[in-house]
Amino acid sequence: MELLLEVLTEEIPAAALPGVRRQLEEGFRKGFAAAALEPESVRALSTARRLVVRVAGVPARQEDRTEVLTGPPARVAFAPDGTPTKAAEGFARKAGVPVEALERVATEKGEYVAATVHVAGRPTPEIFRGIVESVVPSLRFPKMMRWGLGRYLFGRPVHGVVALADGDVVPVELFGIAAGRSTVGHRVESPGEVTIPHASEYEVVMEAVGVEVDPAARRTVFEERAAELAAQVGCRVHPDPALIAEHVELVECPGIVLGAIEERFLELPPEVVVTTLRHHQKCLILEHADGSLAPHFLAVIDRRHDPEGLIRQGNEWVIRARLADAAFFFAEDRKRPLADLVPELERVEFHRTLGSMAEKAARGAELAVALAEASGLDLDPAELRRVAPLVKADLVTNMVGEFPELQGVMGGHYLRLEGEPEAVWTAARDHYRPVGFEGPVPASDLGRALAAGDRLDTLAGLFAVGEIPTGSKDPFGLRRAAQALVKIVVESGWTVDLGTLVRRAVEGVVPKSGGEVEPTAGALESFLADRVRRYLVDVTGVSGDTADAVLASGWTVLPLVVARAEALEAVRERPEFRSLALAFKRVRNITADQPDGAIDPGLFDDPAERDLHAAWEAFHARLAELEPAGRYGEAFDAMGGIAQVLDRFFVEVLVMADDPAVRANRVALLKALGRDFLRLADLSKLQVEGG
Amino acid sequence: MDLQTLILSLERYWAEQGCVLQQPFDVEVGAGTMHPETFLRVLGPEPYRVAYVQPSRRPADARYGENPFRLGKHLQLQVILKPSPDDVQELYLRSLHAIGIDPAVHDIRFEEDNWESPTLGAWGVGWQVLLDGMEITQFTYFQQAGGIDLAPISAELTYGLERIAMFIQRKDSIYDIEWGGGVRYGEVRLKEEWEASVYGFEVADVAMLQRQLEDWEREAVRCLEHEPPLVLPALEATLKTSHLFNLLDARGAISVTERVGMIGRIRRNALRVARAYVEQREAEGYPLGNPLADEGGA
Repeated sequence: MELLLEVLTEEIPAAALPGVRRQLEEGFRKGFAAAALEPESVRALSTARRLVVRVAGVPARQEDRTEVLTGPPARVAFAPDGTPTKAAEGFARKAGVPVEALERVATEKGEYVAATVHVAGRPTPEIFRGIVESVVPSLRFPKMMRWGLGRYLFGRPVHGVVALADGDVVPVELFGIAAGRSTVGHRVESPGEVTIPHASEYEVVMEAVGVEVDPAARRTVFEERAAELAAQVGCRVHPDPALIAEHVELVECPGIVLGAIEERFLELPPEVVVTTLRHHQKCLILEHADGSLAPHFLAVIDRRHDPEGLIRQGNEWVIRARLADAAFFFAEDRKRPLADLVPELERVEFHRTLGSMAEKAARGAELAVALAEASGLDLDPAELRRVAPLVKADLVTNMVGEFPELQGVMGGHYLRLEGEPEAVWTAARDHYRPVGFEGPVPASDLGRALAAGDRLDTLAGLFAVGEIPTGSKDPFGLRRAAQALVKIVVESGWTVDLGTLVRRAVEGVVPKSGGEVEPTAGALESFLADRVRRYLVDVTGVSGDTADAVLASGWTVLPLVVARAEALEAVRERPEFRSLALAFKRVRNITADQPDGAIDPGLFDDPAERDLHAAWEAFHARLAELEPAGRYGEAFDAMGGIAQVLDRFFVEVLVMADDPAVRANRVALLKALGRDFLRLADLSKLQVEGG
Repeated sequence: MDLQTLILSLERYWAEQGCVLQQPFDVEVGAGTMHPETFLRVLGPEPYRVAYVQPSRRPADARYGENPFRLGKHLQLQVILKPSPDDVQELYLRSLHAIGIDPAVHDIRFEEDNWESPTLGAWGVGWQVLLDGMEITQFTYFQQAGGIDLAPISAELTYGLERIAMFIQRKDSIYDIEWGGGVRYGEVRLKEEWEASVYGFEVADVAMLQRQLEDWEREAVRCLEHEPPLVLPALEATLKTSHLFNLLDARGAISVTERVGMIGRIRRNALRVARAYVEQREAEGYPLGNPLADEGGA
């Protein structure tokens, strides 16, 4: 048997549809499974204004089945003479069998009565109806709405329901609408009613009335048609799967028209043209073989053809108007140098409590200056203070007012055209990058220092006013800001102490936010440390416990943290590190509550402890040489060399000796060793077998 | 089709669909939604259908008449259908026929575009309607207004008249639109746009506007506290504060810290107006009917 459900609605938001299809498929699969029916296929399809479920290869009814129901114990059900009691009669009634049909069955708990009942399978359409009426009204859309008298809540108003089992209507009711077999065709291709004779004919009938119900098929049409039209003008389509995916959900009948762009608009910055075409008109971009913009676009339409050429003409007119608008903004913006706009940043709010963008840029500049000094960068503080607000000045240009997504990009273009040095205009262009760990860091020291200072101020400011991300709530994108900061510092190789910078950043914002430095700085430090861990795992690619181990030795000097993590990750599978991880745990446990003391070599009497002392002294000296040079690979090698000696020590030497002086001396040795190990990593964090 | 024929055709069409033809509200507003025929009528259970043109002022959008696509004051044609009928999309598409646009030879799309006005405590879901890639109408199912959940739901259609006229006439500048009677848009309105820009950006007396804003805010509260509350005067006073705020904003006289607080103050009064209106209509026994009660009684 084949089943069909079509719910005809008004245009459902494109972004909602993939999720709704998933919910439909899952709901129907579960419904059939619960009814012990196994269809060959359950497919959720959709167009912009219909939700469809197609089920194929399902039996016409559930199988009849026999069930044995167990009743009361036989001694209760039958009198000693074998006549049935009230208990037996009650059970028989409940099971729907005559009393005579009751049987006796032996169980572990003794003899019981049982009834064999035959359960007739229910017809599949009836089960289908139940599933439809429970699954569809409970579909969740990102934004729910009411309509008309306001009785129902759904993604969009519902206008029709088709529910068929093979050729028969299933009497489903949804949102006060009784199901039938008639629906409507495409709005312009084939308006009017259409009848579905049989569930299996649905797709064919709908195709004939201009509706392609399968999103995958619509995608194929878009891709093929786009490639074809691009080839006609000797271009290629700039790949844009996300935009195609959106268009797939926006139409019932996929089509594309090719339009022309006036060449004069290609003199605008390419990002402006692309933003206009792609983000505002949802057009596909055509490019030449070298990647440069072609003077054409592809507009997706919800119909097969453009019968009178009006659609192409209309789209060309809209795009010309939009590009002319952008060209107007560009010309307006170019009338004044960007530096003239800097004072206007005082009127742009960064945050209600934290003040204007001008104030933010000034704070960011000071952090960039501190960072440059601490990292020994060849950057002039006066230049940093000049450029920090300059890279924000495009926020008050016409173009960014219109296209906020071009912030930074436009500043870069304007400053380049004004003849600013490359380091300056690229800094303007790049200082919002990377976004989280995505994308490259700014190319110049200037760009990186400004980007890092800007992020630090954002983080400190929002932490100071209590906007700390929790769970999935991160409205200001602070996780991404922190990740970007981490990535910039690591990839720039800056050995600046981030803890110190965090304090400076918080000190910079408390005059605005009020409150104390310490709790905010502490919260931000642990937040950043967490992002560093994320970087080590996601970007450096070490395992989580390696990250934990090295972070326990200090997280604030990022290039060193990364180098230690890489070095540890490289050696951790060696046998000596497995045993060191366990031994180090013992070291920590034993020394945890013990007072500090000096080592007196004269008190050692066991060779194993003498050896350990010698090994520690050698390691200590080696570390003093390797650690400042960042030669962590060799440092871990040296650490590994101690494993055997340490194991032997634990086998042969009793640390908790009776003589308090001997005991204190052994503890002191282990403490010294532990301290030196901890300079590299806390090996007790490593998850090793037996640990 | 010239601009006035466009207006006449749409008004005739919607009158035929049972709409009251209303006149523009004579208080400055930023959008047709603020007209009491929308903001108040969508509240409560009473059915209503209305259409009107509303000149909408957005001082910050003014461009001295130099930008061919931007205006400080533009014309909206607003339609409210309450409750939203089942065939609202078809009714809308037929209105395009009425202005000479035959959907059969164009590409019409309904793309999600939700609407929210923090000042009015209002939001709705809906679409922007695109004709061959051009946004010609905002289509909204009001879910909440004045902070009150709505039932029945109203459908709001807002036609951007200059845009549609430009598109139909294929003009590259608003000022070249044929208005009617052989007169172009620029000949009617260009000077006004320039003057409004000079006034809004350079001349407006900030201290005076601030005083007025405070005065009208107090006046709104006085009207609300009157017994019985004077709903429409309170709304008018509130809309004046909203417009004064927009003027001050365009003038650059609203600091970043003041902004949110001021929007909150206007909103507070808008919410009180809405509540007062609902109570007033209830006290009057819903003169235009109550489909929810009829339904409950059946």
